[in-house]
Parts: sequence; C-alpha cells; structure tokens
Amino acid sequence: MLYEVRHETRFRYEWPVTISHQLLKLRPRRCTRQNVLESRLSIVPHPTVQRDWVDYYGNVVEFATVQGAHSELVVTSASQVEVLPGMNIMLDFSPAWEVVARSLRNPTQTEALAACQYCFESPFIRLHPEIRDFALESFEPGRPLLAATMALTSRIYQQFAYQGGVTDIYTPALDVLRQRRGVCQDFAHLQIACLRALGLPARYVSGYLLTRPPPGQPRLTGADESHAWLSVWCPELGWVDFDPTNNLIPNLEHVTVAWGRDYGDVSPVSGFIFGGGQHEVTVSVDVDPVAARFVT
Amino acid sequence: MSTPLPSGDGIDELLAGYRPLPGHYDELMGPDGQPRQVWQALLRDFAAMGRDLRDSAGNTAEGLLREHDVAYIAADGNSKRPWHLDVFPLLIEPEDWQGLADGLVQRARLLNAITADLYGPQQLLKSGAIPAPMVFANPEFMPNSCGYKVRDGEFLQFLAFDLGRAPDGTWWVLSQRTESPAGIGYALENRIVTSRSIPEQFNAYNLHRLAGFFRSFADHFAALGDQHRSVVLTGGPIQQDYFEHALIGRYLGYPVVESADLTVRDSRVFLKTLEGLERVDLIIRRIASEHSDPLELRAPPGMGIAGLLHAARTGNVLVANAIGSGIAESLALQSLMPALCEQLLGEPLRVPGVATWWCGDPAAREHVLANTGTLSLRHAFTARHLLSAGAAEFAASDQDLPDRAALEAALAMHPQDYVGIERINTSTVPCLSAEGTLRAVPMVIRVYVAATANGYQVMPGALVKVSGVDLGTGVPVSKDAWVLSREPIEPETLLKPLRAATLKRSDRDLPSKTADDLFWLGRYFERAEGNVRLFRSLFLHLSGEAAFGNVPVALNILTGLMVSLGQVSARHSRRVIAAGYRGVEHEIWNVLFDPESPDSLANVLANVARTADQVRERLSADAWRIIERLTAMPRLRWRGHTVNDAVAVLNDLTEAQSAVNGLIHENMTRGYGWRFLDLGRRLERARYIIRVMRELLIRVDPLDPGVLGMQLELADSLITYRSRYKTEPQLPAVLDLVLADDTNPRSLVFQLGEMKNHMAVMPLEELDGHLSRKQRILIGMHTEITLADVDKLAGVTSRNGRRTHLNRLLNRCEQGLDTLTDLISQTYFSHSTGHRVTGNVLKDTADHAV
Repeated sequence: MLYEVRHETRFRYEWPVTISHQLLKLRPRRCTRQNVLESRLSIVPHPTVQRDWVDYYGNVVEFATVQGAHSELVVTSASQVEVLPGMNIMLDFSPAWEVVARSLRNPTQTEALAACQYCFESPFIRLHPEIRDFALESFEPGRPLLAATMALTSRIYQQFAYQGGVTDIYTPALDVLRQRRGVCQDFAHLQIACLRALGLPARYVSGYLLTRPPPGQPRLTGADESHAWLSVWCPELGWVDFDPTNNLIPNLEHVTVAWGRDYGDVSPVSGFIFGGGQHEVTVSVDVDPVAARFVT
Repeated sequence: MSTPLPSGDGIDELLAGYRPLPGHYDELMGPDGQPRQVWQALLRDFAAMGRDLRDSAGNTAEGLLREHDVAYIAADGNSKRPWHLDVFPLLIEPEDWQGLADGLVQRARLLNAITADLYGPQQLLKSGAIPAPMVFANPEFMPNSCGYKVRDGEFLQFLAFDLGRAPDGTWWVLSQRTESPAGIGYALENRIVTSRSIPEQFNAYNLHRLAGFFRSFADHFAALGDQHRSVVLTGGPIQQDYFEHALIGRYLGYPVVESADLTVRDSRVFLKTLEGLERVDLIIRRIASEHSDPLELRAPPGMGIAGLLHAARTGNVLVANAIGSGIAESLALQSLMPALCEQLLGEPLRVPGVATWWCGDPAAREHVLANTGTLSLRHAFTARHLLSAGAAEFAASDQDLPDRAALEAALAMHPQDYVGIERINTSTVPCLSAEGTLRAVPMVIRVYVAATANGYQVMPGALVKVSGVDLGTGVPVSKDAWVLSREPIEPETLLKPLRAATLKRSDRDLPSKTADDLFWLGRYFERAEGNVRLFRSLFLHLSGEAAFGNVPVALNILTGLMVSLGQVSARHSRRVIAAGYRGVEHEIWNVLFDPESPDSLANVLANVARTADQVRERLSADAWRIIERLTAMPRLRWRGHTVNDAVAVLNDLTEAQSAVNGLIHENMTRGYGWRFLDLGRRLERARYIIRVMRELLIRVDPLDPGVLGMQLELADSLITYRSRYKTEPQLPAVLDLVLADDTNPRSLVFQLGEMKNHMAVMPLEELDGHLSRKQRILIGMHTEITLADVDKLAGVTSRNGRRTHLNRLLNRCEQGLDTLTDLISQTYFSHSTGHRVTGNVLKDTADHAV
C-alpha cells in the first residue's frame, strides 16, 4: 500500500513567544516492511536553526529553533510511504516466553543486545507487581511468546475502555491498569509494562493509522491522530507489532514513524518555549491511500 | 615502626579513653598498642596544648565555619545544617598515599574509558564484558548522550572516590562518583579552617598543599574554555552542596549561574547579562544530568537549559562532567573493575573495590540471598547524599535490611537494581571528643581526582567523614587529611583566587539574574528597615515614650498604618482596636516575631537572608557576617516579654542595618550591581514614604495631636525638623521636609533623584539619544515634586476635609513607581521561565514532569 501522510501541528499562543526550541520526530523511518519515498518537513515561521540527525534508536530527529517573536507556529510533515504486507505470523510457533526472557540476561549477539535495552523500566514506564500479575494471566508457563502477547493484547482491548481526557502524557501504567481506561498511548504503555515486568523486550511505536475504512468494515479508532502501539522482540522473527487499541497485529494499515523505550523517546512534537502565556495546540493527521500506479 | 612514648607529658590523659575497636585497623595505634611514629609529634603537641587550648582550637574552627557560613542541606532536602569539623587531622604517610594516588588515577582513566565506550561504540556490551542489563536498566544511562562530542575523549573531568581502610591495612574503594562529585569545596574549607585553628602544628608538618592541585585543574579548564566564558551551573541554595558551588566559582573566577541565567540560541549557549547575551563555552555542571535539559531530558520545571544537550552534542559547549556521566558510578560495575582494567588499560587494577555481587546475575542473586548476614544490600544505581556514605553504612553494625519477604519481592521485580556488598570494618581514626580527649571512631575518606593537562591528578588530601552516631555527637563530623611528604614542600596559599584577573572596571557583564537578586535584596532590606523603624515608633508610643511631646496617638491611627503597610488585615484590625491598647501591643508583637505570619519581620528578614544567599559571592565577608547576625535576631524567642525588650531588640536591628548600610555605601564598587541594589532600596523607601504619608496626612486629620510628630519620626526626620524649626510641627514645613527637600536623604524627592541618576547610566537606556520611558517617569515625578507648592498641598481640602492635591500627588507617584518597577524588570530581568509544549492530544501537565 502507498500512503500520503500529512501531519500538521499548530500552536497558537496568547502572547508572542520570543524563542522556541522544537524536537521533532515526524519523519517516518525506513524499516523492513516500509519504504519512505518522500518526506518533507516545514516549519513556519522559518527556524534560524534546523538540524537533523539519527538518534540512538535509529529515528530521524530534527532540532529546530525559532528565534524572534511569533504568536503561531505550524509544523507540517508530509510524506509518501509504501507499506509492504507482513508475512503471516504463526503465533503458536514462537519460543516459550521464559526462554526468550532468559536469553536476554547477558546478550552479546547484535539483535538480542539491541532488544535488551527495551527490557527495563524507562522514564515513562514503571513496573509494579500488580502489572506483572495482570500479565501472568496470559503468560502461562511455557506458552509461546507471541501467542501469549496476542492474548494479552486482546484482554486489554476487551477489558479497557477507550476514553480520551481521563489521562495525560504522564499517566503511569499502574493507574491505567487500575482505572481500566485510556487512549492508545496508555494501552501501549501498559502492555509494554506487562511484557517488561516478565523480563521481555517491548518497545513503543509511534505512527499513523489509515483513516478511510474499507467498505463494509467498521472505522478504526485512532484515526486522524497520531497513533501508538508496541512491538515485542522474538528471536528468529525479530520485532513483531501488536496494537492493543484495535486488537490486532498491524499490517498494511499502520504507518510507522519512530520507536523507542516509551512515549518520551518518540514524542512527535515536543517543544520548549519562552513567553507565550496560555497556548492552544491543534493537530490534524490525514492518511490517504494513493493509487497503485504511483508505486515505483 | 612505633616506639613507646615517654609518659607523663599529658599524652596519657589525651589517650586515656582511646580504645581501638576490635576487628578494625587503627590509624593511630600500631599492632603493638603504641602510637605509630608519624603521629607522635602531633600527639605531643595536642597533649602539651592541654584541655583549654584544645577546646579553644575547636572553638576557633567552629567560629570560622560559622563566619564562612559553611553549611550543607541535610539528606531530607530541607534543612540547612552547619558543617562540623574536628581539628585533629588524619595523617597519611607518603608511601601509603603514593600507592593509593596511583591507583585512583588508574581508576579515573578506567572509568573515563568505560564512559566513552558506553556512549560510543559499546564494545564492552558487544563483547559481554559488561552485561547489557547493567547499563540499560540504569536510569543514569542517557541514550540521548550517545555520540556526544567531548575533547580528547575526556568525559569525566572530576571524580571522587569513597575509600575505607580494611582491617589488614589496605585501602578499598567503597564507591566511585562521576556524575557531579560533591565535597571538594568542603575539603578545601576544612584545610583552610584547620590550618588557621592549629597553625603551629600545621606549619610543623611537611605536608602536601592543595593549591597546586587546584591550579592544575583550573589551568586545564582555562585551556578548555578560554575563547569565551566559563560558568559554574548550580541548582541554587536548595542544593545540598550549594555552599561549595559559590566557593568553586570564586576560586576559579567563574560566575555561578542558575539555569535561568543561560539560554540556547543558534545551538550555542549564552549567559544573559545586563548588556545582552554572552557566549559560554564551558559549563561546570553541578546539577544532575537528568535535570540539565528540559527539552530532551526529564528536568523538573524551572531546571535545566532547553537545547543544552543539542549544543553539547554539536560540540558548541563543553559540559564538565559530560551529561550522562552518572553511568560510571554504578555500584554494579565494582565487581567488573579488575577485568575491565585488564581489557581496557592492559594492566592489573591497583586499588581493590569492596567485594560486590550484582543481583542481575542469578548466581550472584542467590549468593546475596543466602548471605544477608554478612552482606549489605544496596541500590546499584542510586547516588547517595554527600555525608550518608559514612563508615557506618559499610560496617557490620548496619542491620536495617528490609524483611526477607520484601527483599525477595524487590529482587524478583528488579534484580538488576540491587547489589550485595561485603560489609567491612573501616579503620578507626582519633577524634577529639566532647571531653577533650581522643576516641577511636570508624572513618571513610573521600578523595578527589581531576583532569589536568598532564592527565588525571589526585588532590593530596581528603575529606575525612566520621559518623555522628559513632562519635556520639549526633551530627556528621569531618576532618582534614594531611598527606605527608619526604620532600620539602613550598608553602602556598589557598586563599587567593587562582586565575589572574584581567583588569576591568565595569561590570556590564553582570548576569541579569544577579542584578535581579541584588535589586530584590535592596527591596527586602529596605522593607525590613522600614518595618523596624515603624514598629519601634509604635512601641514607643504605646509605652508613652513618644519622642514628640508625649502625645498619645489614637489607636485607629496605629492600626490603620499597620493595615496600610500590609501588616494586618482590615478585619483583624477592628478586632484589635476593640481589644484596646493591650490588643494593639499584642498584635504588633505577633507581626514582629511570629514566624508563621507571612508579614512578620521574621519573614521579611528571611527574604533578606534568602536573596543575600543568592548573591553571596558578591557580598564582602563583613557584609555577610552582619546580614547573618541581622537575620538571626528574630529567631530569638521572648517569654514574658515587655515593650522595653522589644524596643531593645529593634534598636539592635537598627544598628545592624546601619552597619550594612555603611558597608554598602562605603565598600561596594559603584558598578551596576551596586546600582541595582540601591535602586531597589530607593524604590522601596519611596513607597514607604508615600504609604505613611497617605495614612497619616490623608486618611486621618494630620492636625490631630501627635500625628505630625509621628510622621516625622517614621520618616526619620524628627531631629532635622527640631533643629531647623524649633517649634511644634506645622503641616507645610513637615511636607516640605519629607516630600520636597532634596537635602534630606529620607525625603521622597531625594529617592527619586537618586533613582534618576542610576537610570541615567544604566546600559539599556540609550535609545538613539532619546530618554527611555523609565527616565521620563522619574524625571516627571522628580520635577513635579520639586516644583510642588507645599502650602497649597497642605491647604487645599475637599468638603470632608481631605487634602485633595496632596492625595492626587501621592497617587500619581505610587502609580509611577509601579510602572517603573515593571519596566525595570522587563528590561533587565527578562529571564522568563520557559515551559514545555507538545503536539500531543493528551495534556502535558508540567507538575508531573519531575
């Protein structure tokens, strides 16, 4: 599938902002099932400093500074991304989860070493015995890792209500578990916390979801916004995505932008401003499938 | 090694209670139970001093520490505690020291190499030399710092090692500090105070001086950041070791700044000064790595400089130590040090570390659980308070482990966060007890290592830490360590700053936050002075000793004044009046001395103390001492008080205030710092004059008995009036004196004139030859009052007897002063705190951000 993605973030300030620094993680990254054909980033007003680099997790990061008074800042990322179908994953043919956890105690093999950094608490994700106990209900001894992860994904989908406005970006996974509601970011944080509490590597993925539902199918939650899900590492297979908000394994309808230990590592737009007073932020995201003939 | 001492010269008495602890190495006593050779001269000297001189040396030290206001913030994070020093030093022999120093230089090189690898190629993880979870589970590991640029591979400029001497006499490393090691300023202070408390002993021993070490690293820093400015970045007086930040800044000649003083533009760091932005290329970081950049790291609100990490990564600023350096101080690394040393440096590790088991390894975890009796369980990654790593923490006496179930639960959830450490009995050192004799107490020493042009160098001395529990003092005590030398040592002083100052007369590069602090210090100081003056006058009236003709002033005038000056609420004042004179007296008492009341003098003085603390390195030692005395006064509590007691205290306060005034007036250079301080004072004094006048000349009838006398008294103009007019006060004459007489330093016009003069030379007031708005306001008010017709002001009244002209004039002046204050702070103190924004549909509640 080929998509055109447009992600616009607009800040309006009550008073002029004298200087604003932005850290942008908005350019979709190239990965196994994803080609990035085009990626443009525009910042208005024009920044005096704009530098990009690839961060520790392999994401493309942009640092931009807008100097000089401004009352509005618009950041637009427009990209053309090709998503390739994933192979059919046989959940029951993955290794037992305990075996995977054990293999990461002192990993030296490149992939396992890279996976190991997603096994522990991170600034936004704290572990707790209640979270582990919740996870263990799906992780019976010896159960294949991916089958158990899918079962956990389904339980979060079934037992938790999707509800905006009840959480903020710092809501701990434990609170989400106790109040049984939240949004995609909360569900991703919670499921990651569950997996890490068992010593398993899980990372946070930010991206987008196709907005136009296929005919006859229900509209998927998370459309027209940035979306978030998670990925679990399985030896041989590598990273496998799970979306607890929609109870599925992402395939052709998820566009990946960045990944990291938690939201803090991939926040698409985070800024620091001086002045400004109250501010208002509006975000609009469009994911449009493009006709197949454009695919090169 | 040790020879018996001749008895009978007081040494017996000095050592009467000295009992080396069984199972500990003793620094003083040899295995034969006799003092080691190297200590004997010191023992003889202390014995010869006798109890009195020993006590007096201790008192000298306490006095000096108090005078230098050496303090630290206790582990609870709230209370400021005085620093305690035992003048009896630790002696370290040359051969003993050399081996230790070489070993610590090796460890410094090793830790630097480890840090460089973890933030670079991570070969140590790829080879399995360091298990990956030991790094990835550590919150001190900052992925954002990977690929960070440093000069010559130098990540760590400052390191500290806590060491204990094991029973067999070898030194063991107990912990390694690489994040932002604290205490070197205290070690320096210990040296200065000890050398001044026992100068003869200090000069008699041939001991290494510290100045050379400080000069070496100062030169190194100078070379690192010489193009532009260097600063010491502090979290401010709330930080446990703020005292030494100011000391280090003074010593290196670098300004001590807080996050709000710095800003990032064009990926470069700048210091905000009165004249604008000045490039900074070296930051001595004394705030936590994690708090250093609110954009990329999790800094609490108000902490950190947005974009700093980016500037550092780009190589535009050098941060010492590098952001993320805390990764190397993990206790878990301790067990790997021998192997890492072989691998990275190709040599055996010289100084051993205390035996450590990292629970991330299942076998080690089992060992720890099976040996809780001989091991102590510690958090592998969390740094400790400067003074908490005392000997007791490593000794067998420390038994407060969580219960077995809690321990197992913690280890099951986060095994990699814990280590088991073998308990060791650290050596005992002689300490002077309260009885004036020596006692053997376990110690830990902290030794400092710094990067210099010739590689790492060890400070030839140490901070000796002794637990207050062991010593029986209840508070931690520290000591100086004298490293002896066989070679002759050139005496060098520590007291003069190291870097030769370039000649300059202006302080145009004054950080704007310092200007702000000085402005507020001036304001608080004047506010305190006005309060003292006011209350003294009120008490005198209450006691019937009013200086002007003993005319009693009506109760409502007194309480009205208190309301007008914000001392009591209007509702409260009605209750007070109902209670009669006794009620007023009681209320004044509360306002003066009640620390709970926000308007009390105690609180105004606390504000003076707080702001003075912020600009401490700009105040002379004398000024600081008097401010200390001044702000300590209201802490005295009175029981069974009388009005005369209060007046006596208020008199003392007035004297101390006059002393500070004198110092500010006579000793401070007339730079911008002084101008801002004085501007704050003038502004506050002008406000005070206006409020008192409005209360006494507008709200009540000034012709009521006693009112004009009180007005003169509160304006400190009584003597002048008397000598000039020799009559009962008349309104026009009083108005002329307190309002419009430019020879009276207490008149309103005088304050305006001084402010006008300050503003005329401030750096940002020249606008293409035009007057700035601030200057216009001041010139306008000054002219209006100079030209005022006092007879008319005194005479023109409305139907209800109110003096309308005067009232309007006072209102205009007060508004003018308000606008002026806003304009000054907009122009000069624009360190507006920034805040985070995100493009997330979820809210970013900043108060969760800590």
